[in-house]
Order: sequence, then C-alpha cells, then structure tokens
Amino acid sequence: MILFRAILLFFVLINPLNANTIYNLIKIPNLEIYKIDTKNGLRYLYATNPFMLGINHKKNINCYNSDKKTLDEKFKVIIKNLDRYSLRFLKRINLKYIVLCEDLSIAEINTAGIPNNITRTLILDIKFNESYFERAIHHEIFHMINDSHEELFDEEEWKTFNKRDFKYSKCSTCNKDWSLELLNNKYGFLTEYAKSTVSEDMAEIFSHLMFYKNKIYIDDPIIKKKVQFIKNRILKIDNTFSF
Amino acid sequence: MIKKIKISKSEKIILIFIILLGVLFLTSLIILKNKCLFVKNFNPDKIQFNNPQNIAVLEASCGNVIIELYPSISPNAVERFKTLLRSRAYDDVAFHRVIENKLIQAGDLEFGKRENLDYGKVGSGKSGLGTIKSELEVQFAYKRGSVGLARTFEMDTEDSQFFIILQDEPLFEGEYTPIGKVLYGMEVLEKIKFIPKFQIVPRPDFINSFRLLK
Repeated sequence: MILFRAILLFFVLINPLNANTIYNLIKIPNLEIYKIDTKNGLRYLYATNPFMLGINHKKNINCYNSDKKTLDEKFKVIIKNLDRYSLRFLKRINLKYIVLCEDLSIAEINTAGIPNNITRTLILDIKFNESYFERAIHHEIFHMINDSHEELFDEEEWKTFNKRDFKYSKCSTCNKDWSLELLNNKYGFLTEYAKSTVSEDMAEIFSHLMFYKNKIYIDDPIIKKKVQFIKNRILKIDNTFSF
Repeated sequence: MIKKIKISKSEKIILIFIILLGVLFLTSLIILKNKCLFVKNFNPDKIQFNNPQNIAVLEASCGNVIIELYPSISPNAVERFKTLLRSRAYDDVAFHRVIENKLIQAGDLEFGKRENLDYGKVGSGKSGLGTIKSELEVQFAYKRGSVGLARTFEMDTEDSQFFIILQDEPLFEGEYTPIGKVLYGMEVLEKIKFIPKFQIVPRPDFINSFRLLK
C-alpha cells in the first residue's frame, strides 16, 4: 500500500513541464505568437507543429502547421476582415485568440474554423476553400457570437421564418456535400449549407451581411426577415456595431 | 635506526599542491552549498519609498523581496492582498509552483502551509475569504518582476495565490489581475528552489514572512 501511494504521489508530483504560457491560457499545444499588438486586442497565434485536441483519448480535432509564406499571405486577409470588429464587441463575444493553422478538421470532416467561447479562441483553417475563405471568417465569428449570447438567438423564432414544411437537418456535419455556393433560387436560404441547422443558417446570413455588406437579397421575404433578426440581435450586443 | 629521509623539492611542491587542492575543494563545497552567498539583501528601512503604504516586503530564504502594490490599477485585488498581509496569512507558505526563469507562484493558504503541506492538493487551496473578480480594465504590461493574482482557468476566481514573473510575459496582459511589481530583490526570487522541467516543487522553499511596510 505504501509503495502504491509512493508511486501515485510520484506521478502526481512529477508532472512534466510541457506547458508553456499559450498552452496554459488556451489549452492548445504547439503554438507561437504571430502578432499580439493589434488595435482591437486580438492575439494571433500560429501552429509550429501539428496539434490534436479533444477530451481524453478522443482527440478528434486536428490541425497542421503552415509554411511562413502562406501564413503571411493569409494573415493579411484575416486581419483585414477581423479588424472590422471592435475591442468592445470582441470582449462581449468572448473572442481574444485567433489560431492559424491548416487542414483543420473535426471528426475527419474539414472545417473553416472552430470557435470556443470558453477559451475565447477561434481556430481558423488558413487553407480553407479560397472562394469562401473571407466570408467563412465572419461565419465562424457568428458562432462565437451565438455561443456567447444564446439567449438572443431564439431558434424557435427563427424557424417560424421558414416555410412550414421545411425542416433543418439533424447536424451541420451530417452531409459532406453541402455547398457554400450562393443559391439562385433562395427561398429563404442563401446556400445549401444554410439548410443544415438553424445556427448555420444564421451564420450564413451574418457572414453574407458582413462580406457583401448591404447588397444582400432583400427581394426574398424570408431572407429579409432573417437579416432583420440578425441585425437587431447584433445591435443588442453592441449598439455601435456596423455591418 | 631509521634514517631520516629529506623531502625533495618536487615532493614539497606536490604536497603544497595537494593541500591547496583540498582547501579549494572544501571552500567550494561551502560556497556551493550556500546558494545565497552572492545575493544582495535589501533592507527596506534604508530605502526611501514614494508610497510606503503600498510597499510589501517578502522575506525568503535568501533575503527580502520588496514589492510595490498598485491599488490604482486593481483596487479590489490589492485590498484583498493587503488584508491577507495584515493577517500574516502568507507566513510559512510554500513557493509551490516554480518554473525556471519563468515564474514563481505561492499563496495557497489551505494546502501550502509548512506544517501541513499537501503535495496532492497544493495549488487548489482557498483563503476562506471567497474569490474576487478579475480586474483587467487598466492596461498593464507584464514585465519581469510583475506580480499578479493567480486564478483557475475561469475568470473571476482570484483568491490568495499570487505569482511573480521572472521574464516578460506579454500574453499575461488582460488575462491576469496585476497587483504590483518587484522593486528590489529579483535575485532572491531567482534563488528559490525549482526542479528543471517540472512545475510543482517537492520539498519547496517557503515564505518566511510577508508584511506591509506600514
């Protein structure tokens, strides 16, 4: 028994110091600072080596380090888009750290980003589909907004905007073929992906609003209602926010 | 009759050399054992301070660490800290988490006391006064010697544990509530016991006393 205790104590005490400051703050390994002195307080970190995240042995989030050239090129695009969010707004949606890496996947399904409002972190895949890359940044920002203010984004209310017979899918990763391409016949949805879940639908509206500003599809009555809903709720979070 | 043999010159030199070597060995043993030998100990009574009411003196094994507290930056956190200093709560508390050239953490009043140090729980103890809110509104650059209140992974969980950084930590700004900065005695902190590549220190060094100057 004494021997068992001694061994147990050894393992408790001898906790190898693989943790650095960044790991202690956001619990993601293999990161270095890319840029931290930004006007809206966002801190950009990049992967120096691949990393896996998840609970216990189920580390189902993967991302890889990128080369410097890609990193530098994509950073310009990312900061141009994220600079549109003020420090005040970012504080209210609990976003502080942007992790830059490539080939980001969750359960082996590629994704543009993974938000986490507990660690105040958004992981971005800097090699995500070029055609949608910029808009996808705002899409992921919406998930941060939604996660931090769930009470504002009533899903039942949102569902009433759609046609009665429409039903969302069970999850946003249930189908790998959902396209982010803008639909010609919208009928309340900007993209196929918007049909997956309420949250993705909202994120698609928000990202189009941010990316295309006010040139967005108010000829569709359902989308018009959805746009109004999103604008109204965002302004409740920060009444100085501009789309 | 035994004939007395005269020592040759070269033998004398070797003998002197061996004696010298022995003396050097013994001296170096004493010097090496005394880790505090070249550490300057600052006497707070001989130093003029602009805000003596905000000066705290931590006495560690190698001498004094003199810290200026910043109530204008973190009023609630500094008030909590002063309350604990006035009650002498930090006396005999372990420097339980020491990362070489990076930071020193102490202040676990529940599991870090000399008389009942609990290696399994140290770092998770409470003061009994409850937690306080993080104070991060005022910009504060975490330079070497900065002192902050430790917290759990969540905000607003500061209590009695504090840390002192041994190198600049720009990422700490906006993350941890700052309470002050070391004015004198960084060398004393650098002599606090650590285990390379490990965070928790078995048989750690302790705070001898930690008081407000006035």
